[in-house]
Amino acid sequence: MVKTTTKDQKNTKQQSKLHLIDTDIHERAQYKDLLPYLDQPYRRYITDCHWLQEKHMPYTQPAVAGVDRADARVPDGRPAGSDLSFMKEQLLDPVGHEVGILTGALDPSPSSMHGWYEMATALASAYNDWQIENWLDKDERLYGSVHIAAQDPQAAVREIERVGSHPKMVQVLLPIDDKLWGDPFYHPIFEAAERHDLMIGMHHNEPPIHYGQWPRYFIEWHTLIPTAHMMQVTNMVFNGVFEKFPKLKLMMIEGGFTYVPFLMRKMDQQYKDLRHEVPWIKRMPSDIIREHVCFTTQPLEEMTKKEFLQIIEQMGSDEMVSFSTDYPHWDYDSPYESLPPNLGEDLTRKLFSENARNFYPKLQRIGREK
Amino acid sequence: MQQVVQEVIVCKKTDLNPGEMMESTFGKHSIVVARASDGEYYAFLNRCIHQGAALSKGKICGAPEPTDNLGEYDFKREGDILRCPWHGREFDIKNEGCMLANSKFKLKNFKVKVEDENVIVYK
Ligand code: FES
Repeated sequence: MVKTTTKDQKNTKQQSKLHLIDTDIHERAQYKDLLPYLDQPYRRYITDCHWLQEKHMPYTQPAVAGVDRADARVPDGRPAGSDLSFMKEQLLDPVGHEVGILTGALDPSPSSMHGWYEMATALASAYNDWQIENWLDKDERLYGSVHIAAQDPQAAVREIERVGSHPKMVQVLLPIDDKLWGDPFYHPIFEAAERHDLMIGMHHNEPPIHYGQWPRYFIEWHTLIPTAHMMQVTNMVFNGVFEKFPKLKLMMIEGGFTYVPFLMRKMDQQYKDLRHEVPWIKRMPSDIIREHVCFTTQPLEEMTKKEFLQIIEQMGSDEMVSFSTDYPHWDYDSPYESLPPNLGEDLTRKLFSENARNFYPKLQRIGREK
Repeated sequence: MQQVVQEVIVCKKTDLNPGEMMESTFGKHSIVVARASDGEYYAFLNRCIHQGAALSKGKICGAPEPTDNLGEYDFKREGDILRCPWHGREFDIKNEGCMLANSKFKLKNFKVKVEDENVIVYK
């Protein structure tokens, strides 16, 4: 019997030259993993009181194995993404990752929980400690995201102060759900992030994209996730977050990037007409986006090289897009097969590593010599 | 110099029940051998035409029939459809591995025959 290998699992000389900085990898905690990191009474809410976090999405994800790649389930039966050695074997070693940025899968995020901020804050702290001890400290390639209960900005700031200076924490993670994070109410979070050289990562969780509700089918919801990303970018820019926090940058994770040229053009046109409403914005929104926002590639639509380059050209910069696999989710993008071929050495290097390295201050000290 | 493989026993007939698949090799190729619901054997390159996932890690299942009636799920052909383990694209085992969403695309397939107890892939 042969061992099945995909291109992603072969480590040929040519493939190992990628030096990939993968901007979206989902490690997964089950609640029982977090118990050792949870204080009472929160621990007993899970062990004794059958705490299960609310979920909203009214669909089964109709891929072969739910939200995960069917081949990513840990061989001992645990869910995909929950074991570092299997992640190494299936992803990091064969692809030759230089860096993988963990973006969590605590479902839903503590920031998405309804009113129980105290439990959300406790879960976020436990998650961060679990992540540092079991992933960041165990593999030098892995970098992490600070999880917070952002709906309570004071508690969120305390958590950022507690773990944000960890050398391998590169961003504060905000879920895209039903809150727009550019609201001044949440600005203390950005102030704390900036203090610790952390960028902001936004990743959709379960955004209702249909007038605050859900369309009937998963295929509609999944198609329209970029609209939720567009709302956040628009909100962050026009609420002046980047004017107030000039060092801050925003990574929009897992929404793709093909919508960006439209959004930049639309925002510029609106700004010309309606600037008087947001006089703290003193330059074209597209310039702000180019300077402060980066987009991860996955999920890539199938494109020819010409189509791909046209989109990059319309963004006015080839430094705003970073490759991501989204491992171990069902819509994983292969670093070898998802991009159009022959994009050129310069652009490929930017997509695979340079743009992400320039984006995250804490990554800038590594890999220069490579 | 690598020899061109002409005929390979890829499994025994009894290795697969209808609606099951397994990995095997044909020359230097990793292949997936699938047995359809009617007991026939088929073989495909074990590599999805989308992004290269190993198809043998996917699922043999059925699929809802295309329909003119909105809201109708007529789930048929259990055992005849191979779904990719990654993005879930559906391929029709019994129709040369054509993709259900767009039959212009199909898996690379191999010729198969059964002799005695053996399932044989050949060129
Ligand atoms: S790799 Fe098979 S559907 Fe994408």
